[in-house]
Formats: sequence, C-alpha cells, structure tokens
Amino acid sequence: MSEAPVIEVNAIVTRFGAQTVHDGVSFSIPRGQIAALIGGSGSGKSVLLREIIGLHRPNSGTVSLLGTDVWSAPEEELAALRQRFGMLFQDGALFSSLTVAQNVATPLIEHARVPEHLLGPLVRLRIALAGLPVDAATKMPSELSGGMRKRAAVARALALEPEMLFLDEPTSGLDPITARAFDSLLRFLCDDLGLTILVITHDLETLLAIVDRTIVLAGGKVIADGPVKEVMRVDDPWLQSYFRVRTMLEGPEMNRGT
Amino acid sequence: MSASARDCWLEQADGQATLFLAGAWHLPRIARIDAALAAAGIPASALVLDGAALHTLDTAAALALLRRIDGAGASVARLENFGVSHLRVIEAVVGRLGDIGAEARRRRHGPLAVLGMHVLEFRDLMLGHLDFLGRSAIALGDAALRPRVLRLRELAAQFHHVCVEAIPVVVLVTFLIGVVLAYLFGMQAEKYGANIFVVDGVAIGTTRELSPIIVAVIVAGRSGAAFTAQLGTMVLTEEIDAIRTLGLSPMQVLVIPRLLALVVALPLLVFVGDVSSMLGAMTAANPLLDITPATFIDRVHWALRLDHVIVGLVKSAVFAVFIAIIGCRMGMSVSRDSRSIGISTTSTVVQCIVAVILLDAFFAIVFQELGY
Repeated sequence: MSEAPVIEVNAIVTRFGAQTVHDGVSFSIPRGQIAALIGGSGSGKSVLLREIIGLHRPNSGTVSLLGTDVWSAPEEELAALRQRFGMLFQDGALFSSLTVAQNVATPLIEHARVPEHLLGPLVRLRIALAGLPVDAATKMPSELSGGMRKRAAVARALALEPEMLFLDEPTSGLDPITARAFDSLLRFLCDDLGLTILVITHDLETLLAIVDRTIVLAGGKVIADGPVKEVMRVDDPWLQSYFRVRTMLEGPEMNRGT
Repeated sequence: MSASARDCWLEQADGQATLFLAGAWHLPRIARIDAALAAAGIPASALVLDGAALHTLDTAAALALLRRIDGAGASVARLENFGVSHLRVIEAVVGRLGDIGAEARRRRHGPLAVLGMHVLEFRDLMLGHLDFLGRSAIALGDAALRPRVLRLRELAAQFHHVCVEAIPVVVLVTFLIGVVLAYLFGMQAEKYGANIFVVDGVAIGTTRELSPIIVAVIVAGRSGAAFTAQLGTMVLTEEIDAIRTLGLSPMQVLVIPRLLALVVALPLLVFVGDVSSMLGAMTAANPLLDITPATFIDRVHWALRLDHVIVGLVKSAVFAVFIAIIGCRMGMSVSRDSRSIGISTTSTVVQCIVAVILLDAFFAIVFQELGY
C-alpha cells in the first residue's frame, strides 16, 4: 500500500508583530526518512518545529502528522498523537530531580499500562537503545556529561515507541566523536526501528553522513528540498557560503559522493 | 477462542514446539500480550517462532516475548516468516538483553552513617558560612579603603527591593500584630482595671522583641530567598563565572551591595514596624479599652524608654547581616542544576529564621546581663 506522508506541512505563515518569519512553508516527509531542516540563525527553524509538534500556533497553514491535523484536532486526538512522536529539546530538558531511569519511566507510567515486572527491563532497554551504559540509569542528570544527557533525553523520547522523532540541534555542543556516535544512533533508530526523523541541525557532518533529505529554510520559504548533493548545487548565496566553509576545509573530497 | 489467545498460540509438530505470533504487538497492548504469553504455556525447550501473522512488532513487545521465553527456561531455535523490519527490531532487542539484565542499585546507608553524614554536612555548612562571612568582611574592608569599588547604583537598586518594596507588607503585618496584642493584653488587664498598662506592654513588647523578629522573618522570606534564587540562577547561567573572567569580584559586584542594603534597610523597616504596631494597638485600644489616642501617646512617652527601641534596632542590624550572608552564600554555592536552586532557597529561609530566633535568645541574655 502506498502510504500518506508521515509529516505534512502546508503553506505555513508565521508572523511576530510586523515581522514575517514563515511565508508559505510547505514540505512533506514520508515514513522511514531522516530529514534535516537547515537555515541561518533567525530563519525560524525552531519555531517551525514548535508549530509541527503543536506548541506554537501558526498564523495560517496546516500541519498534519500521521494524517491528523495538529491545529484543528480535538484535544483527545492530540493527546493520542503526542504519544506517537518524541521530541528532543536542545538541552535535553531532563527532569533534574529524577534519575535517568525515572525520567524514562515517567511517560511509560503515565501513558502505557506496562506490567510491573516489565517496567524495569523496559526502561533499561530504552536506556540501552539510546546507547547509554546500564549504570547511567541510577544517575541524576547533573551527573552526566553533555553527550550522555542527550542520549538520556533520547531514551525518554523513545519511551512510548514513537513513530516520529523530532530533534532540535542534537549535536550542538558535542565533540565531533560524540556527535558522530549520536548520528549513527539516529541512523539505527531510523533503519532498525523504523522511525521517521526530523532534525534541525547546523552540523554539516550530520547532513552528509546520515540525512536522506535536506530542507533549506531562508527568507520565510523553502528554497531547496532534496538529497544534500542536490541541495549543494542550488544557486543561493546563503546556501553557497554555507557549503563553501566545508569545501575550504576538505577541498576535493567534497565530491566523493555520500 | 478468547481475544488474548489470538495474540499467540503454541503448536506441537514432530516434537517441535512452534509459537505463532499474530496481530499488533505494540506498547499500547503490552499488558494483554504479556498475559497471553504467560497463558500460552511455553515449554522449556527450543522454540520456533512464527511471525507470519504478525502485523506490528515494537521493541517493548519483543522484550516481553524474549523475557517470557527466557523465564520459561526455553530458547529460540529459529525465527520463521518474520518481516524484515520485525527481524531488525528483535535483533536490536536481543543485542541489548545482556545490558539490561541486572538492575544497578544505588548504595544504601545505615541510620548511623546517615546521621554521621548529616553531622558532617552541617559542619561543612557552618564552616562555609564562616568562610563567606570572612570573605565578605575582607571585601567590605576593601570597599572602605577604596570607595570607588563600591557599586552605588546596585546598592540603590537592592535597597529599593529590600526596603521600599517591603514597606506595605511590614506595615500591614505589624499593624495587625499591634491590634491583636492590645486585644489580648486588654482582656487580662481589664479584669484588674489596669487598662492603661496595656500601653506599656504593647510599646515595650513590640519595639524590643516582636517588631524586630517579625520584620526579620518577613525579610528572610522575601529578600533572603530572593538573594539565593538570584545568585543561584546566575551560577547556573555562568554569569558569576563571567564576572570573575572579566576581572571583577562577585563579592564586590553582588554580595556587598546586598549586604549593605539589607543592614541599612532592616533597622528602618523595624522602625516602621514599631510605629505601625503601636498605631494598631492605639486603634484597637480606643473602642475596646476606652484609652483615647491622646492618652495612649502620653502613656507611650512615659512608659517607653528609648533603650527598648535602640535594642530592637541594633538587634535587627545583626539579623540583617546573618540573613544577607546566608542568602548570598547559599545562592553562590548551588550546584549546577535547577533542582538545587529550589533546595537552596528553601534552606535559606529555614536557616535565616532559625538564626534570627537563636540570635534573639542570645541578645535577650546579653542585654539582661548588661542591664539594658
């Protein structure tokens, strides 16, 4: 069966006062893709993400996730939808008064009727799937490094077996090695667990290594949309200078084709 | 066939047990799936799993399956007719089963060890306060020698926050205390026809004891807590580190203005409280005890020695030092997570109030001995 797109954003317009942030943004993402949203600072990436997951109402336009219109669905339907996606906030947003295991257990206890004897193993499975060592489970978020905190947040986002995962700059503030390990975690989630992933990123390495599809936001519109190799060729000053940095760093390797 | 029996069933063929899985195996139905697995009667032998009728399979359901098989002492011989995506999910879970077997536990301590830790914590807390008091004194000396380092603007802003903005609540609370005192004293004094002595009692009681303590408690709750929350947030956002890096002293920039503002503000607020509580008593005394305002004021002149007022004001200045030092120090020493700001703020208020009461008891004895 040919499936409808998992994420569908249609003609989004967002204004803050006199300033128009989005002026008709549309794209759709099919199941099982990792899509990246890029754009300069202030181009409204984070706002768009908040509009997609139902935290900020756009002035006009529609967002539909798994066939549900986020901004016109009744509250119960929205509540059910919220359990089908996970969100990773920029700083992790772990509950600082709870251990990592308790953080992961929170959505499970709230929303899923998990038999008592399965809860502990299930929480530890999430932690292991996010690539954390077992002994991290009993630690407080403040005792973890930045990279581990992000993984713990992924474990919490994965708690309810979401079909979609949204991430806001997951690799910012991580060292390159940790960032690449995080990238391969995303690839694993997409390939092996079948998640559809939308990630805001500034990380060129992420774009080139794991992303299937790059959506470029500039001047309130989508100026390019496609595999990163195609997006690189788009004739746009911001996009050109964005990729030039990397060309300067790596020279001809740019053309090796990922 | 019951509903749960449709999720899985066991078939025996040629001595080989096969467990058939069917339908939606996902988290929302996890309790039913787990119950179905428990009811399936998995034998303790090598099993063939058949996933031909499986619609969905997620990691939670795969975990429930594998743990039930493991719990029955069985093993998986073969996977048959599984979709590629389902196989991947099973693989992902199997690969991590080893990691999740044992539950890691935090070490628990016995009651004696807990008591010992609390004692040590308390010692560290007191030493920390003492250390902070010393550093504040040095910074204050520095500011006295080089008045240029004193931040007058910050001092004025802090004074506004801790003094001017606190006046309404101080007036309200002490006025009501005055009313209550006059009423309570009056009920007793009336029995002996000693109405006029109510004025003595209220005047001395409020200026010497009640107004300093009540105002200090209000300020501890308002400003002590605010100091901790403000400085704690600044630690969290690395502003304090930024101040140090810019070659400024957090003591001079943040602590000294707060300390000075509070030391000046608290006696002033106590004086406001003195006046306000006597006004409260005067208001109540007129209708209840037939003491006219003129008689009341006349009696206050006669009964209230200036000593009592000064004792109250001096005490409050010392209270202010303790509130400011505790508030600032608890703020500067929060660890870097949002939870600890809440804990430190609570602790500040408790410590300040306890310190104020203890100091007050201490002063009561000292002034008694000195004959004030």
